[in-house]
Amino acid sequence: GTLTWFNSLLGFHRVKMKTPTKELNQVKVPAKILVADVKDVLESGVSTEKQEYLLKLLILSLIYLLAFSTRLFSVLRYESVIHEFDPYFNYRSTKYLVNEGIYNFLNWFDQSAWYPLGRIVGGTIYPGLMATAAAVYWVLHAVNITVDIRNVCVLLAPWFASNTAMVTYLFAKEIKDESAGLIAAAFIAIVPGYISRSVAGSYDNEGIAIFALILTYYLWVKAVKTGSLFWSAACSLAYFYMVSAWGGYVFIINLIPLYVLVMLLTGRYSSRLYTAYCTLYVLGTLLAMQITFVGFQPVQSSEHMAAFGTFGILQLFGAFNWVRSHMTPENFSRFFKTTLLAILAIAFAGFAIGVATGYISPWTGRFYSLFDPTWAKENIPIIASVSEHQPTTWASFFFDLHILTFLFPAGMYFCFSKLTDANIFLIIYGITAVYFAGVMVRLMLVLAPVACVLGAYAVSCTLQTYAKHLKKPNPVVVSASTSKRAVTVAQALPVQRELGAIMLSGIGIMLVLYAFHCTWVTSEAYSSPSIVLAARQHDGSRLIFDDFREAYRWLGQNTPDDARIMSWWDYGYQISAMGNRTVLVDNNTWNNSHIAQVGKAMASPEDKAYEIMRALDVDYVLVIFGGLTGYASDDINKFLWMVRIAGSTDPNIIESNYYTPRGEFRIDKEGAPAMLNCLMYKLCYYRFSEVYTEQGRAPGYDRVRNAEIGNKGFKLEYLEEAFTSQHWLVRVYKVKTPDNRGGIVNL
Amino acid sequence: MSDITELPFSFLRVPQMRLRTPNIPRPSPMVVFWLVFLSYFLVLSGIIYDMIVEPPSIGSTTDSNGNVRPVVFLQYRVNGQFIIEGLSAGAMFAMGGMGFIILDKSNSKSLSIKNRYFLIMSGVLCILIAYNLCLVFLRMKIPGYMVTSS
Repeated sequence: GTLTWFNSLLGFHRVKMKTPTKELNQVKVPAKILVADVKDVLESGVSTEKQEYLLKLLILSLIYLLAFSTRLFSVLRYESVIHEFDPYFNYRSTKYLVNEGIYNFLNWFDQSAWYPLGRIVGGTIYPGLMATAAAVYWVLHAVNITVDIRNVCVLLAPWFASNTAMVTYLFAKEIKDESAGLIAAAFIAIVPGYISRSVAGSYDNEGIAIFALILTYYLWVKAVKTGSLFWSAACSLAYFYMVSAWGGYVFIINLIPLYVLVMLLTGRYSSRLYTAYCTLYVLGTLLAMQITFVGFQPVQSSEHMAAFGTFGILQLFGAFNWVRSHMTPENFSRFFKTTLLAILAIAFAGFAIGVATGYISPWTGRFYSLFDPTWAKENIPIIASVSEHQPTTWASFFFDLHILTFLFPAGMYFCFSKLTDANIFLIIYGITAVYFAGVMVRLMLVLAPVACVLGAYAVSCTLQTYAKHLKKPNPVVVSASTSKRAVTVAQALPVQRELGAIMLSGIGIMLVLYAFHCTWVTSEAYSSPSIVLAARQHDGSRLIFDDFREAYRWLGQNTPDDARIMSWWDYGYQISAMGNRTVLVDNNTWNNSHIAQVGKAMASPEDKAYEIMRALDVDYVLVIFGGLTGYASDDINKFLWMVRIAGSTDPNIIESNYYTPRGEFRIDKEGAPAMLNCLMYKLCYYRFSEVYTEQGRAPGYDRVRNAEIGNKGFKLEYLEEAFTSQHWLVRVYKVKTPDNRGGIVNL
Repeated sequence: MSDITELPFSFLRVPQMRLRTPNIPRPSPMVVFWLVFLSYFLVLSGIIYDMIVEPPSIGSTTDSNGNVRPVVFLQYRVNGQFIIEGLSAGAMFAMGGMGFIILDKSNSKSLSIKNRYFLIMSGVLCILIAYNLCLVFLRMKIPGYMVTSS
């Protein structure tokens, strides 16, 4: 309609120009066509193309708004505050970047963390997150919308989640078609597996990394389908953004070579694949090495060797294909065997020399534990102790994916029944993502996007089949004997239209239930700021525990500026960001033996611990205690990990000493003497025996361990209590300094 | 010259063998799909969790009379499971996936109308049963599921 009208317009113009003398006759005919076409357009209203386009635009805008607003629960319930532990470090770094500038940020050496070692922040972080937040901040300030940096950080992840939904639409559209794209975008806007790491306030790398991941994969599929240098280069730029954002970029640089190898094995080699991968590998590696933290790893570490090897194999494949087209078959087979053996021998020798001399570093612990999950449990307790690194149970899968757990294998089936280059990528991504999500709960985040796309694939295929049923009229029932011709389509059912309607409404109900589940999970499970706790009282009203911020503010205002705080590494980032004090160990956990020193101090009796604390120049000790409120993630529950980590460097700390003879971990009268006299026990339960915690129980009843404490009424010799928060959640103690003659002085 | 170098080995008798590199045929896509489906069932049953954490295959409580009664679902925790519990949930996920696959197969060309009805019915039944049983399992684990507390 529109196009022919435009063409006819051009035609009218051309006719007019060509024959100016015979104007009157010539003008009439084009004018008639013009008038007729305009009337056509006006009568049919907006054409179907335009209708579809407007509908798509409306759906995408709704999805954009939905993805943003569903992540705002905690901001509406509490306030706009940064959650958890890691985001506080990111927030502090972003503030530093915004205040000091880019070059000072890249060269930043932080003296207030890991006392006395310090931390080279500029070279040990992925700067993408801070750079993105700072860029948003500067852009907004340039147009005089002065948003505070804290609000930019809190709301960055929801905004990027909306962008992720848009990119997922493009990704699914590239693999199947637009309807699958829309469903995929709707799925990923609310899928709980992604929401858990991208709520408002969760200012962490994953919030922008998933956006970069899907963008890279979309551009990669586009590059393979078109074989154009432009899309491959765009893919490398997206890969660079991913490298700057998250350590999980290793997944991309191993998945894409795996895909290339599978394509070679299934006989789908093409020049498009060659162009796409070579461009991505060369440009991507060069760009990845610009990030200081990554440095020379892309040419040195084992995690990147697969990409390098595939690069070589692809060159060999292309070269042999070219040679074969120029040689006779017998010559070629001789040439092939000798050359291949020679090249493989040289490559293997080079690789062996690299590994033997240590130039090619082995797989780091974090990634090695993905292949051998039992390795971390025995060798590196720190990696094993993080709750996010535990393997996944079925309930976690169902909780985070809901109906996508059913739609995932269905989507795989539809992909396998019609294999294309893009489908194979989706299949491989799906298989590897499921395996890695099974090994580590945290990697459910990587499974969520591919589950959404595969689920959308399945739903789209099913909907298309049954929507076709709706459109066809019900056939007249023909007896089997009269229809002799071969059946080319499936025999139509007499209740075809009704069946189509039932199936469409059934799928619609399933999607509505998905939306209910996702909203419930977001509201109940994934929207707690964890820096502020809430509990429900008997009469239904809410009680807020703001002890953490109270304690950190006390630290910031009542201790000397250069005071050093010893606490378990979980709280290091929060103390640095909110209390603004020097800490000994923090969540970066880069120095295992320094953490082991802290663990040893916590697990030793008071006098031994005092020696260690004096050696480390500690002024204050901070512990988290949940026995009064029933807060279960306190330091006594983490204590065994402190013992294990301390025991990994000091063989004198034996874990079984802290258990009862029967092998239980108890803090009541039956508890082990080593447990009842260690520093952690004394700091947590000091003066606790004077407190009544529950009706009908003796004083000193620990509400988390459900037991009355065993060691009561003791006095502290080398420390004194400095601060206890309102609900006894955070307790700060001052380390006494010795006097001139070596005794202990109260200063 | 070659006679001299071959002399020490003249007592050996070379066997008449014809060795060829084995020709492994490429599996068809559907075979690969069913392998992937099987591994999906295993992973989603939490088999990796079972291998590392080694929970008991079924839990037990002692009730008021002193009898030991089995407990299938580990309650109040999403991040813990027993082995049987994981496998039964994985079977539900697989059944749900099978429902969609059956629904697609019901549109294939060489089916009579009776068979088509049968396949559609069983596909829908698979999906309904799988989804509802998963909800039942989840409610047994987390009693507060889908109960808004605020």
